[in-house]
Amino acid sequence: MKDTQSFDHRPDPELGAALRAALEPTGAHAAFVARVMGQYERALERGTIPTLDVLASWFRPGIAAAVAALILGFLFGRGILTPTATSIDAAMAPSEGPGLAALVTAADPPDASVVFASLVEQR
Amino acid sequence: MGNSPEDKDLVAQTLAGDRDAFGVLVDRYAAQARRVARAVLGDPDDADDAAQDGFLSALVKLAQYDARRPFGPWLMRIVANAATDRRRRRNVRRAEPLDPSLVGGGPRPDAVAIRSELGERLRTALGELPERRRTAVVLFDVEGYSHAEIAGILGIPEGTVRSEVFHARRRLRTLLEDWKEQVK
Repeated sequence: MKDTQSFDHRPDPELGAALRAALEPTGAHAAFVARVMGQYERALERGTIPTLDVLASWFRPGIAAAVAALILGFLFGRGILTPTATSIDAAMAPSEGPGLAALVTAADPPDASVVFASLVEQR
Repeated sequence: MGNSPEDKDLVAQTLAGDRDAFGVLVDRYAAQARRVARAVLGDPDDADDAAQDGFLSALVKLAQYDARRPFGPWLMRIVANAATDRRRRRNVRRAEPLDPSLVGGGPRPDAVAIRSELGERLRTALGELPERRRTAVVLFDVEGYSHAEIAGILGIPEGTVRSEVFHARRRLRTLLEDWKEQVK
């Protein structure tokens, strides 16, 4: 037993042993372990405890989504930043079908779908 | 630890779905977890419930465990928190006052009864200490954790741990000395 007024950086074996005896669990060790393992099995069945496999299965879609977002972002950014070769000459250049020239010189207004189709062809 | 697998390996195996590895961890730390929970709660049944909560909570958080650090303090922090949560939820009854017959004067009991009496006195004395103080002294003198580790477990500065252990020891050592005088 150490002096009650002094401060010691080491554990006190006598006090430790007495406290250990006082706090010793009342139930059997094996029964407690079995009880915890039973709860563990039930938690696994309910899926409330993630294993590495589960965490990995969460991880994979996340990675795929991130890669897809990166690719889309890259393509979108490239499309905005790259100047398209559009000019009046290019727009008026003949292509298969009626083309813009035919459309702008026609007497009647064209159908909207024709206009969009023509624009897509020009690109 | 000899040839027995290291904690960090058991943790990795548990995360990979090895149930036996978790069983080894529970077996290894069950007694310690139950004692620490009992230091917080007092009641042994409540303590076992809290220790179980702690193990299952640790499982859920197992992927967050840093394998470069010792597993024991990490687990004990979770167990101590589980015990504190349980105490708050259930408003566990406070330690009952000492039976006057135990304080002195009664018939001299046999050796087993004497040990039992000491245990009862210590539990009562622990119950009268603030929760943080009794947990700190149990982690230090019973479980052998360092002040720095206890600081991590309890989430308090190391200097505060030293102070808590000092004050708890002063009370408990006095009690122990008185008891030794009585049974002489």
